[in-house]
Amino acid sequence: MKKGMVKVPEAGQWPDKLAIPALATGAVLTTAGFLAAFLLVAPVNGAELESPELVGDVMVTHQQLLSQKIFYFHMPVAIVSFVLLAFGAYYGVRFLTTREARFDTCSRVAMELTLLFVVFTMITGDLWTRFEWGVWWTWDPRLTTYLILMLIVIAYFVMRNAVDDPELRATYASVVSVIAFVDVPICFMVTRLIPSSVHPVVTREGGMSPDMALAVMLVMAGMMLVAFGLYRLRFRQARLAERLQALKDQLDD
Amino acid sequence: MNPILADIYSTVVPSMPFIIGAYVLVWAALLVYVIIVVRGLKKTEAQMAALEESVRAIRNDRPSNPL
Amino acid sequence: MGRPSTFRQYRTLLAKDLRQEFRTREMLMSMGIYALLVIIVYGAALALTANGLDIMHMGGGLLWVLIVFTSLLGLGRSFAHEKEQGCMEGVLLAPLDRSVIFLAKATSNMLFMFLVEVIAVPLFYFFFMSGQPVAPTFAAIVAPLLVGTIGMAGIGTMLSTITMNTRSKDVMLAVLFIPLIYPLLSACVTATTAAIAGAELWTDLFVMPLVLACGYDVVMLLVCWVLYDFVVSA
Repeated sequence: MKKGMVKVPEAGQWPDKLAIPALATGAVLTTAGFLAAFLLVAPVNGAELESPELVGDVMVTHQQLLSQKIFYFHMPVAIVSFVLLAFGAYYGVRFLTTREARFDTCSRVAMELTLLFVVFTMITGDLWTRFEWGVWWTWDPRLTTYLILMLIVIAYFVMRNAVDDPELRATYASVVSVIAFVDVPICFMVTRLIPSSVHPVVTREGGMSPDMALAVMLVMAGMMLVAFGLYRLRFRQARLAERLQALKDQLDD
Repeated sequence: MNPILADIYSTVVPSMPFIIGAYVLVWAALLVYVIIVVRGLKKTEAQMAALEESVRAIRNDRPSNPL
Repeated sequence: MGRPSTFRQYRTLLAKDLRQEFRTREMLMSMGIYALLVIIVYGAALALTANGLDIMHMGGGLLWVLIVFTSLLGLGRSFAHEKEQGCMEGVLLAPLDRSVIFLAKATSNMLFMFLVEVIAVPLFYFFFMSGQPVAPTFAAIVAPLLVGTIGMAGIGTMLSTITMNTRSKDVMLAVLFIPLIYPLLSACVTATTAAIAGAELWTDLFVMPLVLACGYDVVMLLVCWVLYDFVVSA
């Protein structure tokens, strides 16, 4: 394929017009999901009480696991981090097949947002772990595979900083982003493959009630929109910096 | 407080700092990222201004019509 | 006369690496001595616990730590002389399929790692395990060692090609290598420990991790094999 034939993403086109509305809608949806999680969805039952007790006008028969409210943000951000990494790997493949530097920029921005959402997942997951399991960290298969996903994404940026030649840097970065994506299905499947995993799985816990699913879906949609909006803003800034650099180089000649 | 109520609250009250912490830290992380993006944007704009300045300086050095 | 077959190209490249190594013995010597040094460090680290220690359950993990770090040393060196002597340019100029270069290099790295393991595993046994009764399943550790080494050689060859052109290449190799082999490492440690301890129902802890490790090997080797062309031609 000729270089000029490839349609490359550029900042300032129609998706940029959607960036701010997407961020605003995302903020509204995540807030709605947050409120739904705490006000609409009943808390999950824990161990059974010795005898039922009337609290307000509700008969409580089990301990109430309030810490489970963390789940309503934890799972959506984890899924969004996988989606973002998939985009990073997709643009990595596009770069390798077209050699168009623009795709490397896209891939880099997607990987940056992956790291952000991985950090979100780690924060929410870790505080839940600390309360429910009483430890800050445990070498559960799901936690471990997700940790190494984070380490690979960090290694991606360390590696970018260690290569000077832009063409070489883009190639290596794309290759690493594709290899990093191999960890996603592993991380996703590991709780099914290794039954000793203590990480809760929705299907194993008996599925979600409709109102739980609603809260999760609201947060998930909101987080997707936030990720999209942040991606467009960051991409726009990255493109501006690149064009500036190109102008400077022209001026130096 | 009767022991049953204490049992109910035993899983609710101690978990509050962790739930609040989780949500606050996520927002803090998001804020940090937004600050990084905005600072990057400001830096790029400042460089753009410097570039415009140097282009203007080059223009003024040269005679207005090179022909 | 046509072009030499792919298999002949592969054999020629592999022979070149092996000849170069057996002439200088640089890599094997450094890896072997490094492995011995790690064992000595283990000796110091375990000095006060060695008698009461449940070495049969820790042995698998310690052995793999030894293998990972020794391999890291060897992989870091594997492209050093190619670059210093401009050998890589020569190989790239030849009308070769790039994936043949990957396969040849991965094979030579794998062979060196096997050679070091052949020395290191008996040494490890000699220093730490000779006081304990040997489980009848001990010989089964060959399977995880084989699977693990194949995967580590493949991933490591790919990554050392990338890090060859980066600044502070040794650190970069470790930063990329250790997270990427982690699933393999964890599965192989489980299988090795199951074989060394050899308790009842040991196959439960042996077969499943080994199957997972094989799966990871296949996926990673395929990905590396496809992507190697881009890495080496850049």
